Amino acid sequence: MLHVLRFGARPVPDHVLRAMFAARKRVFIDLLHWDVPVVDDRFEVDQFDDQHARYLVLAEPGGRHLASTRLLPTTRPHILDSLYPQLCEGGPPRGDAIFEITRFLLDRDLSSRERRAVRDTLVMALVDHALAHQVTSYTAIAETGWLQQILAFGWRCRPLGLPTPIAGKTLGAIRIDITADTPALLARAGIAPLPGHGQDEPRVAA
Amino acid sequence: MGMHIVGQLIELIDQVGCADDLTLAMIEICTTLGFQFFALTHHVDIASASASAIRLHNYPSRWADYYDGNALGVSDPVHRASHTTSAGFRWSHMAGMIPLTAADKRLLALGSEHGIGDGYTVPANVPGEALGSCSFANQAGRPLPEAMLPIAQLAGTFAFECARRLWSVRTIDGEEKAPVLTDRQRDCILWAARGKSDWEISRILGVSEETVAVHIRQGCERYGVNKRTLLAIRALFDGTLTFTDILRR
Repeated sequence: MLHVLRFGARPVPDHVLRAMFAARKRVFIDLLHWDVPVVDDRFEVDQFDDQHARYLVLAEPGGRHLASTRLLPTTRPHILDSLYPQLCEGGPPRGDAIFEITRFLLDRDLSSRERRAVRDTLVMALVDHALAHQVTSYTAIAETGWLQQILAFGWRCRPLGLPTPIAGKTLGAIRIDITADTPALLARAGIAPLPGHGQDEPRVAA
Repeated sequence: MGMHIVGQLIELIDQVGCADDLTLAMIEICTTLGFQFFALTHHVDIASASASAIRLHNYPSRWADYYDGNALGVSDPVHRASHTTSAGFRWSHMAGMIPLTAADKRLLALGSEHGIGDGYTVPANVPGEALGSCSFANQAGRPLPEAMLPIAQLAGTFAFECARRLWSVRTIDGEEKAPVLTDRQRDCILWAARGKSDWEISRILGVSEETVAVHIRQGCERYGVNKRTLLAIRALFDGTLTFTDILRR
């Protein structure tokens, strides 16, 4: 089940957001050792988790978290302009139709077989969301190894700056353009969402 | 300035429609960035690999023949080093990344005699597919274009994706459906990969030693291999097992 959520909006399926923040803690802090804040020793929540953030969350009907991502408006402070402006040669792209993809996350408990299908479902959900809400581009920060995988999804990507070593990793910023033919490009690249999670039945909770 | 060049190179790659176009685009990219040679390749034994393995280069043909004749695509230290990082690296820094054996050093010296000096390799790894890379190189004595290396990193990444599309790379088994292990078969091969014997696995999982042997044999049958080592490697390769599974604890 795909939930499209906003923080602080009503009604909020609280358990879905809580499960997501807990999953974020398990991945970004416990596994990847990112230096980001922890709340209650259980939840990873930062300064961008406010009423302006949107979340795409894939969860099982019982609430088990599968995968999620956070979308930040580029007209407000976001990660690329606040923390890594040096990654964009011409300054971070901003606009009502441009959102930044952050905290893209597959749950640690997924089996390796589930991961691929869940990942494909979340990628397709990002495209469906963009087309449904007049989003023309996403921006994102990716470690160089991730970039090859992001390109392999088949959508149109452009780098925004040169890869830059930061704190032991090589990071780069990219722009992903979403147009009416993007779903077909993903399908051609082999992106296969789980049945029942497609755009025909998204559960919009807020 | 840098991104202006990157934009032009990506435009060039975007217009590629066949492998010959990509060769021409790569030669132009080399010229723009200050390299003489490129190699876009999956890290497999090319002589025995399927036609879906990516392989494109402009190395001197005598060197390429020697390389293929000795199946160096698998053991090449450049390829091995590229499996330890996601960022581009200079060949001259390899000794700090992986242990170089005497044979590796002979290979690098031989490459140099055949006209290949220092190089810069961009790892190109897509989960579930053969590992690959895009390398740029110059003849011995001609230095790497230092300032262009970040541009080479991006150009290599986009060029490899272009090659993936041209070769219609999907999974390691091509269009065939990938084998699926049962959870129990997977558990058994996970413990085998951690070095446990059938008897030890039987104690860990609380089943008989015979049952463990049957699970592993059936797992081998599903992948069409006849050794548990091969089964573990194939399962690692397609993501049924991960290195984290095997190495943690």
